[in-house]
Amino acid sequence: MSGVEHDFGAFVAARATSLLRVAYLACGDETEAEDLLQTALERTYRKWDRVSHDNPEPYVRRVIVNAAISRARRRAVLSIVPMHSPPERPARAGDPDLVHVLMDALRALPPRQRAVVVLRYWEDLSETQTAEALGCSVGTVKSQASKAMAKLRSALGRDTVEGVIKNAHA
Amino acid sequence: MPMLEDEVRRLMADETARLRAAPDLLERVIRADRDRRRRAKAAAVAASVIASVAVVAAPVVYLTAGSTAPVGGQATTSAVPEPPAIDDTPPVRTEPETLGDLGDGREFGHVKVGYLPDRLRWGNWSVNHGDSYTTSWNYKGDSEGSYRVQIFVYENAAVQELDDRLRIYREEGEGEDVTVGDRSGYLVVTNVGEDGMAGTPTLFLKMGDAQWAEIMFSPVYAKEFSGPEAVTAELRKIAEGLTSTM
Repeated sequence: MSGVEHDFGAFVAARATSLLRVAYLACGDETEAEDLLQTALERTYRKWDRVSHDNPEPYVRRVIVNAAISRARRRAVLSIVPMHSPPERPARAGDPDLVHVLMDALRALPPRQRAVVVLRYWEDLSETQTAEALGCSVGTVKSQASKAMAKLRSALGRDTVEGVIKNAHA
Repeated sequence: MPMLEDEVRRLMADETARLRAAPDLLERVIRADRDRRRRAKAAAVAASVIASVAVVAAPVVYLTAGSTAPVGGQATTSAVPEPPAIDDTPPVRTEPETLGDLGDGREFGHVKVGYLPDRLRWGNWSVNHGDSYTTSWNYKGDSEGSYRVQIFVYENAAVQELDDRLRIYREEGEGEDVTVGDRSGYLVVTNVGEDGMAGTPTLFLKMGDAQWAEIMFSPVYAKEFSGPEAVTAELRKIAEGLTSTM
């Protein structure tokens, strides 16, 4: 194994699962997420000399979310995969399947809004870092996050979510 | 901290906790890279063979007084077969909002299509997101939902999204700025890894401050042409014929 392969392998071993989760949340499908991750890592490996000097993770993450956006955009057009629709009614209080309700709502977001949610609230990136990852302005991140959370709030029902949490904590 | 954000974070953690990267991921990545290099090398060898055969064949054509040997045909059979493109995958239909019946598809939204390559006919579908919309063309007999040429139009607020994408391409060193007549554009082979890494030849055309078009050839369709230059020439012809009605 060459030095490059060794270094790259160490990075994959350390970060692949975390990156797979980002990919899954960005695209909403497990198989698709694995493919996204492999694609992103192939691209990273090709440019390893360039990206390995600094922390390569932001680069891989950026490739993942932007590829997810591109794929979703193309697939929405081509209807290659079934599109998930948001629930017609807000989740009821005590809904035991709240995770699935959230995932459906997340999948129903436009791809860029979904990516903003993932980067901001899963990866805990700042608005500036999120903007950098998506190649857009901080203002765009703010507006997309606001729209996305409004949709999630509507789909989930904020009062309902808070009620569930209160019940869980009671 | 707002409660909804906390809950979203917790639900995402619950949902992804079971996920683990495949043990053979590294191996697959490195193998794919080697395969890609091998294909690129094979393609380069095939191209050089074609070029050398062409040089050798030229006097033969001359000596046989007008016979036209299939110079490129035999040589290209040595090319490594490409993996199937995802564009060949039969689609599962959904029902997004459409632009309605577009007839021959030569006018949709706020654009007119002045030129399309031979044999292409409207694909009988479209998607309308309001400030962005698209339709496509394919061959008679193609599977429903497949495309050979697709045009995506971005208007008003959606133009910002396109600006962002073009900035990323430039930062990544992918593609190049071009001019089409007196209009600016950007030429790139977009590659999101789902088309056998063949990529989608794409020409972005600025039709106005509030309107851009994205003209795409499917990887499958691009293979019908003699090479990237021929594909680019066709993309440019479509772009030249594209006019705005905004």
